[in-house]
Amino acid sequence: MSDAILTARGLRKSYASGDRRLDVLNGVDLDVAKGESVSIRGESGSGKSTLLQLLAGLDAPDAGTLAWAGSADTGTKRRATFLGIVFQSFYLIPELNARENVLMARRILGRLDAAARARADELLAKVGLTERATHLSSQLSGGERQRVAVARALMNSPQLLLADEPTGNLDETTGDAVIELLLGLCAESQTALVLVTHNAAHARKTHRQLFLRGGSFAHG
Amino acid sequence: MPWYLYLALKQLFPTGRKFPFFTAISVLGVSLGVALLVISTSVMGGFGYEIRRMIVDTQGDVQVRGQGLVEDGAGLQARLATVPGVVATTPFAEGVVMLQHERKPAFPAMQGIDVNRVSKVVPLERFIRAGSLDELDDDSIILSSKLALSIGARLGSKVEVTSPLVVEKIKSEEIYLPRELRVVGIFEVGHQQLDSSVVLVTLRLMQELYGLGTAIHGVNVKIVPGLDADVAAARINAALPPAARVTARSWMEANQDFLFILQLEKNMIFFLLLFIIIVAAFSVTSSLLISVVRKTREIGLLGALGGQPRQVAACFCFQGLLIGTTGTVAGLVLGFTTLYFRNALVEGFTRLTASEEVLTRFYQFSQLPAHTSKGDVVLIVVCSVVISTLAGLLPAWRAARLKPVEALRNE
Repeated sequence: MSDAILTARGLRKSYASGDRRLDVLNGVDLDVAKGESVSIRGESGSGKSTLLQLLAGLDAPDAGTLAWAGSADTGTKRRATFLGIVFQSFYLIPELNARENVLMARRILGRLDAAARARADELLAKVGLTERATHLSSQLSGGERQRVAVARALMNSPQLLLADEPTGNLDETTGDAVIELLLGLCAESQTALVLVTHNAAHARKTHRQLFLRGGSFAHG
Repeated sequence: MPWYLYLALKQLFPTGRKFPFFTAISVLGVSLGVALLVISTSVMGGFGYEIRRMIVDTQGDVQVRGQGLVEDGAGLQARLATVPGVVATTPFAEGVVMLQHERKPAFPAMQGIDVNRVSKVVPLERFIRAGSLDELDDDSIILSSKLALSIGARLGSKVEVTSPLVVEKIKSEEIYLPRELRVVGIFEVGHQQLDSSVVLVTLRLMQELYGLGTAIHGVNVKIVPGLDADVAAARINAALPPAARVTARSWMEANQDFLFILQLEKNMIFFLLLFIIIVAAFSVTSSLLISVVRKTREIGLLGALGGQPRQVAACFCFQGLLIGTTGTVAGLVLGFTTLYFRNALVEGFTRLTASEEVLTRFYQFSQLPAHTSKGDVVLIVVCSVVISTLAGLLPAWRAARLKPVEALRNE
């Protein structure tokens, strides 16, 4: 695939469990194209989050290869610009307000200028939080926090967005709204999306649905 | 501003919170340590400074003493006047006498001074509280204030002085009558010992009372301001022939044991009080370690966003530095403010405990002295900031070791 944003081949990962090793991933292959959205479902403990951590370069596989836009460089510096991550628990920095949390993604790159501030304001407007921009995370609802996390993930205009059960801590209505927002923003910016979810309805809204079982994908 | 410094500032002074409790407690610990160090080193420095000033003001910068009597005092002074750096000289003779006023005896140290020259070397007029140095002649005496009080003498009183010469006279079966002197002045230096046991007479009278003829015990020397007293003493010793049997000693050399003890006390107090800052630093370490544990998932997030481990470490190290710097500045302000009001505070305390006289007698000074040297302040600031920054190292190291994936998994 020439415009592949993400290419994973034969990813394997196992963890020590007492005296034994527990194989979590047994040779996972995955290709995600530019602007494509892919959902990954699976039972609890099936290795969805582990796979996402490998795809994000946060953890190293025991075997297999990973490439972002054809490059094997999945280091910390490239991660900051190439991909955005949305977590189930939001992980907003409590000492910062919504706008400062969004800007933190750009601060880490060391390029905080007027354009970056305008981008943060634009994203906050897109997620409907212009009025709440100066509120601390403790002053925001769960849905609002996750929308801030989405805006932060998109701050550096990533080519790939990884979302790990982003609606896991939200009620159904709020969760639906966040997924709509996530898909809409990714489609608008042609950002590839890998969505890990338990929710079949949310999964169906992506271009492609994958099911993780026994450490590898089973189409379903 | 780099993100890790920005985040460190935000964690210490969070947006929208007027009183960051953790920061305030940490800063307070450091500032109390710094304030105590400033106060104690300044007061100890004040004692040293006052004693030094008093020694120089009463003895001169350099004192030249004979191994016995100096027979040719005028010749010695003429020779001293040729030494580079010597501004003025004044001869002296000294000894213990018995002094009586209305049957109240005292045994002060009597200093015979050359009234015409003494003011060129030591500022005696400054210490005269009543009467005048100009009125001092061969039939009069100037008493120290507490001595005058203890024997009930005042200006115009007559006191009787008996010198050890009386023993010689009795041996040779001569009649010796005490010398009656009129009190023409009362002086007060501010030092308990000097103010209760010294009297001044003319050099001629002292020579007469001790049967010295024209001999003296030594010469006090004033040197050019800024010239090191030890250097001046060395120059004088080099200029004097060994046959003169006299030795010049700077005020520092003459009082070196006392000054050494004073410096040792100051250093010991500094060393002990430094532990307050070290204890405060441990509290900073503990607070930052708790912060690292509490913020484990945020640290993981920063790694996931692209933050480098060394930048995460810098974030916590900078918090230690900032607490140290803020605490040091607050401590300096607190310390100098306390020093400014020290006498009022001591006065209040002594009034409450009725211990004013005991304090004066024990510490020799009527006012609590303070003298802050730049070197001491620089040392305190450097120690405080360095120790506080080091306090942030362990939490920083812990934070840097956290792997994003493990930190994010932490619940």
